Amino acid sequence: MKENDYSLHKIEQFEELINTPNIDLGKLRKLSWSGIPNQFRPMVWQLLMGYLPRNQDRREVTLARKRKDFADTANQAFSKGVAGLDYTLYHQIHIDIPRTNPSSTIYQNKKIQKSLERILYCWAIRHPASGYVQGINDLVTPFYYVFLSSYLDSDLDTYDINSIPDNVFEAVEADSFWCLTNLLDGIQDSYTYNQPGIHRQVQKLEEFIKRVDLKLYNHLKKEDVQFIQFAFRWMNCLLMRELKLENIIRMWDTYQSEPDGFSEFHLYVCAAFLVKWSKDLLEMDFQDIMIFLQNLPTSDWTEKDIEMLLSEAYMWKCLFHDSPNHIS
Amino acid sequence: MAGKDDEYDYLFKVVLIGDSGVGKSNLLSRFTRNEFNLESKSTIGVEFATRSIQVDSKTIKAQIWDTAGQERFRAITSAYYRGAVGALLVYDLAKHVTYENVNVWLKELRDHADNNIVVMLVGNKSDLRHLRAVSTEDAKKFAADNNLSFIETSALDSSNVELAFTKILTEIYRIVSNKALESSENSNVPSSQVVSITPTSKDEANGGGCC
Repeated sequence: MKENDYSLHKIEQFEELINTPNIDLGKLRKLSWSGIPNQFRPMVWQLLMGYLPRNQDRREVTLARKRKDFADTANQAFSKGVAGLDYTLYHQIHIDIPRTNPSSTIYQNKKIQKSLERILYCWAIRHPASGYVQGINDLVTPFYYVFLSSYLDSDLDTYDINSIPDNVFEAVEADSFWCLTNLLDGIQDSYTYNQPGIHRQVQKLEEFIKRVDLKLYNHLKKEDVQFIQFAFRWMNCLLMRELKLENIIRMWDTYQSEPDGFSEFHLYVCAAFLVKWSKDLLEMDFQDIMIFLQNLPTSDWTEKDIEMLLSEAYMWKCLFHDSPNHIS
Repeated sequence: MAGKDDEYDYLFKVVLIGDSGVGKSNLLSRFTRNEFNLESKSTIGVEFATRSIQVDSKTIKAQIWDTAGQERFRAITSAYYRGAVGALLVYDLAKHVTYENVNVWLKELRDHADNNIVVMLVGNKSDLRHLRAVSTEDAKKFAADNNLSFIETSALDSSNVELAFTKILTEIYRIVSNKALESSENSNVPSSQVVSITPTSKDEANGGGCC
């Protein structure tokens, strides 16, 4: 991960806050909203996701219990090897793992692939109402990446993965599982039958764009572009197909600091994201719009671009949040 | 922006369907951009691409919708069948279960697509010779019994990809242009016989429909 340049003052504030015996989560959210320095991110994410207890005395025992709980589930599910698994479910996960982040070497490592398989499989059997849905494989990777990085003394992307001890993998696996679980608990109806959560989100996005960028809205209507055609993926994968992992990680600092970051705030982020391309889109016809939106030019995006996006989303949230009639 | 290929005589909407991981997206990228990616990301919902080809000195523009294979996405992907005049139903010839599921996909088409949709059965990954699990003869017979055209392709080594798309687009074109001919020869065709495959030719697309 890239070294980030947070001010000494901010680093001291984090240092001080996370060393208090009973962490004030409100303060932590406030501080984290504008980005978490790398060295604190694994712990802070676990606190903000409601996984790591804010009370220092309870941490060790809670972590031990949670990690054992996950290990028991995984060991039981995989006790008979692949033959004992639900074939359809396992097969879908198994073919999705190698193509989760194909350009990144760490996700091509067999050990990491097995680990991600166990997380997704266990999550799916514990959540039969939705089961595994493609795209959830993307959502586990920020947790996995951030948590695994914290155990290593150099950059994960160039690290000799096979030298990492098994107990590290076990801890990272369990922690990622629980954080993914907590994230998905808030947006589960995005993945249940007919994916009602996504349809609702896309509908809200459309209504919101109509209010804030009528010209763009009218142009998309005129060209017969339906929001579901491009925004479905934005909701299903939380923009992870649109932005680089390092951008997403920064974005999740803020998402986790917002009360409904992965649902409501994400909607405002999507709106800001779409409006960002408004000028380009207004010049295009149906075909060009579709192709452009499927492959947005974000590969050179930096933290600055993400922060701009987040501030715009925040501004809209403040303007519209307390007037729900504006968007519903 | 890419060069416009707006000059076309026929616009045909085609969908790519079939189980997850059979290679739909790579068939599409091979045909439209001559690209192949061994570990391309899974398709979420639906993706879109176009390409134009020439048949009988007519330009046919294919608007191709590539759909996600996972069952959970069926509700969203089936919405794209409406108005499609062709479907490439893809299976992986090295994975028998994806061939068995062809029946499920045919039912999907019966339930959601136009009755006259032209369907081509495509056995993809023909480069995996030593792993073949579905014989050409079986698939050919199944296709004939079900009134589908049939081809085996490899998006990886490009074999037959161009041919598959050209074949189905030509087949659609023949049906459409024959129907057009029939209806101009015989003006009292009962309306029930009017093809539900309605290509949008450039003139029609430009609106001026009332004459």
